[in-house]
Amino acid sequence: MPELSESVVEIDNLVSHYGSRKILDGINLQVQRGETMVIMGGSGAGKSTLLRHILGLNLPSSGNIRIFGKEITRLSNSELSKLRTKIGVAFQGGALLTSITVAENINLPLREHTKLNSETIEIITRLKLEMVNLSGCDRMMPSELSGGMLKRAALARAVAMDPQLMILDEPSSGLDPITAVEIDELVLRMKRALNLTIVIITHELQSALKIADRIAVLCQGQVIFSGTKEQIHESNNQYIQNLLNRTPSNNQIEGNEYLRRLTGLQ
Amino acid sequence: MMQQIRSLGTHGCYFTKQAGILGIFLFCCLIRMVTPPIQVQRITKQIHFMGARSSIVILLAGLFTGMVVALQFYDTLVRFGSVDLLGSAVGLSLIRELGPVITALMFTGRVGSAICAEIGIMRISEQIDALECMGIDPYRFLMTSKFWAGLVSVPLLTALFDVAGIVGGYLVGVVLIGIGQGTYFNGLHNGVEWNDIEMGFIKSLAFGLVIIWICTAKGYLLHLRRTGVFGAEGVSHVTTDAVVFSSVAILLTDYLIGSIML
Amino acid sequence: MEYKSTIEGNCSIIALSGEIDLQSSPPAREQMLNALKQNHHLMVDMSAVEYIDSSGIASLVEGFQFAKTHDLKFGLVNISQATRQVLELARLDQIFLLFETLDEGLAVIQG
Repeated sequence: MPELSESVVEIDNLVSHYGSRKILDGINLQVQRGETMVIMGGSGAGKSTLLRHILGLNLPSSGNIRIFGKEITRLSNSELSKLRTKIGVAFQGGALLTSITVAENINLPLREHTKLNSETIEIITRLKLEMVNLSGCDRMMPSELSGGMLKRAALARAVAMDPQLMILDEPSSGLDPITAVEIDELVLRMKRALNLTIVIITHELQSALKIADRIAVLCQGQVIFSGTKEQIHESNNQYIQNLLNRTPSNNQIEGNEYLRRLTGLQ
Repeated sequence: MMQQIRSLGTHGCYFTKQAGILGIFLFCCLIRMVTPPIQVQRITKQIHFMGARSSIVILLAGLFTGMVVALQFYDTLVRFGSVDLLGSAVGLSLIRELGPVITALMFTGRVGSAICAEIGIMRISEQIDALECMGIDPYRFLMTSKFWAGLVSVPLLTALFDVAGIVGGYLVGVVLIGIGQGTYFNGLHNGVEWNDIEMGFIKSLAFGLVIIWICTAKGYLLHLRRTGVFGAEGVSHVTTDAVVFSSVAILLTDYLIGSIML
Repeated sequence: MEYKSTIEGNCSIIALSGEIDLQSSPPAREQMLNALKQNHHLMVDMSAVEYIDSSGIASLVEGFQFAKTHDLKFGLVNISQATRQVLELARLDQIFLLFETLDEGLAVIQG
């Protein structure tokens, strides 16, 4: 049963390097219980790196990351394992294991972590598949699924253990508009019914404005905005305005400089 | 001049780091191998894939190798009038050297490349990350059953190779050339001692461990590669590397064990 | 999780309380199936259930299925709003017999 603490995810001054290159430069972020936090930002802003840090897959150069109040960089393997059963993750490409069926993918955490008998596990698997509208696909292999189905199967696996925190990496990107909307709706319904706290990484603006309670915008490794949907429209940061209005950044061209770049005489 | 030394230093550091990472990887795998639960079903499945499915190939390889060995030895032995040593020559060369080494090399090509590619692809499609995030130990889930299967399959395949080779030697020596059947088998019986079989067995165990270790590690640690090539190209590089390194490691281990036990 | 089991005529009543999660759902499941195996209808009183997860829901589904194949009735009494939302998400609100009060349920089952 969920412990009653206010912040589910707390990131303090997170700094992260890849080799000698600094990717994240002092990230501060909190996600409260029951809210949907959408993290946006351009390519190369550090979204995926931030995600990997939250999941405990990367070690930070400095800074703190607390999930459910626990500092994840200092947990033992078994403590981290236990914490991870409360977190459901859906990766960008689904990341389903291609050697087993869809149903086996979804009940994998159940089989590994619980001692429930097989009938119960089967029913739970089918329940999750029904929730994401994939009933009847339990015997299919992941390679047989379409893009939208794959994303939904990943969602089903993410909620298999009834997590308290869900982390979604680009849940509706790469999908046609109708399927994308369906996924958004599904995420909203799941959040309400299962009382989830959700962190979503996306660059799809419409999705973000629809499902977010709060939005954080990353730019070059820093959080340049963190607030509600209403507040983001009032921001006078140029980058954010560009993001909202979908205008490309305007690079003024300096004639000689440009010519030099084109001909490679630099 | 300074450039050379600096480059030497960088490479030296890099290789030492790689060796350390590989060593830690092996240690992690070994620990999980000997702690329960033992996944009998998974191990059996791997033995089927690695061992049973390789048996025809190894059988043929053994047969032809035995035939070639018999042919070559006969040609030499006949000059010294020692043709009755053919049986022991064929037996010893197969059991001590050719059996373990050729089996291991073929095993690397067939099984090693497959498992390296499989794990490499899992790495690039975030499947291994997904396992970790579900609180599932990827070493236990992916590696330990392969290690056990390798330790069981390679010695068995080696034995199969040896038997096929001796049969091949028989075909050439007795059936084709006409040495007496008794001479052949007597030579075999007298020449081959328990030490030789032991050496062959220990070699095959060591080779099995080395192959599975290097091939799984290369696939698993794909994301740490220096050139940072992630994706299909990365997988192909890593698989090629795995087969090459395993092969060289097999030959090196062959020499080391030989020099210790002889 | 605690349970209290009573019998009224040809109907068993199991009152569950507390949390029904991965640890506590197997015993709950057993209780329900045992009651049904005695050829009684079954009412599960959910008034005191604070939290139920998928394994709990799955046990309810199993109980319902068992009842159906043995021509018995299976009803849930006084589910919370949270539980109702979960059932709706899994489209089970249209499958289960749901009652506001125990008396209402008993009346329907024995009537």
